[in-house]
Amino acid sequence: MKRMDLPLKRGRLGQSAPRAALSLTASERPGGASGSTRLAWQRAAATLLGLLALVLLPLLFDLLFGDSADFQLHRVTLILILAIAALAQNLLTGYAAQPSLGNAAFFGVSAYLLAWLNSDLQQPYWLAILVALLACALLGLIVGGPALSVSGAHLAIATLGLVVLTGSLLTLWDTSAGRQSYELTALPEALGDDRVLYYLVLALTALIFFCAFHLLRSRVGRAWIALRDSEVAAAACGVALTRYKLLAFVVSAVLTGLAGVLYATWGTTATASMSSVDQTIAFLTMIVVGGAGSLSGSLLGALFVGLVPLLLGELPDPLMLGPLQLPIATLTTGIYGVLLLLALIFFPGGLSAVFSRGGRLAREEGGKP
Amino acid sequence: MLALLQVLLSGLVTGSLYGLLALGIVLIYRTTGVLNFAYGALAATVTSFLYVLLTGPRLPFWPALLLSLLFALLLGALVERGFARPLLAAPILTKAIATLALALVLQTVVQALWPQLTSPVHFPTPFEGHALHFGGLYLSLVDGLTLLTMVLLLIVLQLFLLRTRLGMAMRATADSLEAARLMGIPVGLIFLLVWMLASLLAAVAGILIAARQTVIDVQFMDPVLLLAFIGAVLGGLDRLEGAVLGGALVGLAENVLALLLAGHSLGALDLGNPGIREALIFAGFVLLLLLRPRGLFGGAALRRV
Repeated sequence: MKRMDLPLKRGRLGQSAPRAALSLTASERPGGASGSTRLAWQRAAATLLGLLALVLLPLLFDLLFGDSADFQLHRVTLILILAIAALAQNLLTGYAAQPSLGNAAFFGVSAYLLAWLNSDLQQPYWLAILVALLACALLGLIVGGPALSVSGAHLAIATLGLVVLTGSLLTLWDTSAGRQSYELTALPEALGDDRVLYYLVLALTALIFFCAFHLLRSRVGRAWIALRDSEVAAAACGVALTRYKLLAFVVSAVLTGLAGVLYATWGTTATASMSSVDQTIAFLTMIVVGGAGSLSGSLLGALFVGLVPLLLGELPDPLMLGPLQLPIATLTTGIYGVLLLLALIFFPGGLSAVFSRGGRLAREEGGKP
Repeated sequence: MLALLQVLLSGLVTGSLYGLLALGIVLIYRTTGVLNFAYGALAATVTSFLYVLLTGPRLPFWPALLLSLLFALLLGALVERGFARPLLAAPILTKAIATLALALVLQTVVQALWPQLTSPVHFPTPFEGHALHFGGLYLSLVDGLTLLTMVLLLIVLQLFLLRTRLGMAMRATADSLEAARLMGIPVGLIFLLVWMLASLLAAVAGILIAARQTVIDVQFMDPVLLLAFIGAVLGGLDRLEGAVLGGALVGLAENVLALLLAGHSLGALDLGNPGIREALIFAGFVLLLLLRPRGLFGGAALRRV
């Protein structure tokens, strides 16, 4: 019988192969060699250029799309919102190695809280957001506490159950109030302008990624990475596992909540489908396609999940390929699935590994669940 | 009393279907480390194939069923070779997301090939409308067949896994991949066979569910799959008996809750609403998991240091 070439170690949820704890990649090591300093400079330059491009994007859209520029900009804003949600999932799953699928619960709850406080109780928009985020922090703590004792695939399915539960409760709220979805009727007028919304979301996204970058290089980030690499070794090195895991849940919940209120603002409505299995899938897809344990991976993942369906939607229907006539509209989901599969098969460490100059090291780092 | 027995009976039938699905999920998870979210789509694809055989060329039911089961084996092998094998070394979350992508692809292929399945259609079986009566108890023929199939499958599977060399090789691979390879077990072949077996189980479950609810569309397995997953996790995700028992528990809970909640209401809220039932099941599941983090029938947690 032909011997298959199979790897000896299989990845299990939450159980990475024991590696040297606290091992840091070249770029994470403080005071690294001059090579890594140059890399850091290049990275900073690339980030600034990217940011500049995003700031100028509305002008470019004016040239490209003319009258429909605002509409197109509106669609791009969604990608930035998704990036925040992807970052939240990535901090929790890619860095702190908690395979929680529960983030979609916070996504929906914060949106509904905003809708309730802002539209029904007539509270100021910003105050409503603040309350929603505080509620998410509390919920994150409540979910994170039990999550300490449940691990691996059990945690994944349990948190998925939580999402479905939240979704059903939100649907029940909608049905008992006799509405299809929760309309946000009292939003600040300025946010009705697509450009203002774009710049607001862009500023928030940039700020959050900047903070996350520094958080990950602080004691907190090092602790998360250490407990991802080996919980036992991290505990032995004096990392307070409980505290840092809970912190990961809370930070992730708050960021997801922020993405949730922005998403509701963006669509001027909160729907129960924000807390659904599909939403969870979108979050996870973003970090897996982009690269778990990578900041740029969160962006690339959001780009994939946000942009690919948009582009597929732009294909002519039916598409003529020589004599073949393809009914694109029915095939879109399938094509998206195929692209996703190809991305996963060819870039198992995520798309960010392709762009990283760290080569193999970065790929291994990104391949961690 | 009779009503309760009746509910328990239909709960047992629903539960055995969940158990059958959970069995396949656990089988694949244990051997290949894949949390298979495409399991429902696999079942739906084979069921759609059977539907097309029954309505298109109007084959008699039994030959069509046989063809469909062969198709299931083929599909399982195809999925393993084309999809699971390239991703074997990937982290578990990547594999889970990949199965979701696979589900999307399968659903689209079914929709593209047989557009009539995008909306609910009637699934014809020769058992429809027949029923068995025991005393005051009522059991539809499909339900009876489901129970019978379940018992037979469990016996055969148990004998296969415990008594045959191939079954032992499968269990050895699930226990330890490294050890199995060192003993000369062709693990690649085992993976292929496990996927084929799981695909067969999915097909049987899918066809029975379709026969039971008599109406199918391309996504008819989606709500069922999540409950089967709950059953699998309640059973501990690491043993086959646990999966069956966990599935049975979920099925029983669903039917008993339906009996208890029917006709009651809380304010403007109709408690008989299936959404409430689902929410209660999920809440109970999360609570149970808190009390028993490894599932009800799961083994002790091993920590690798």
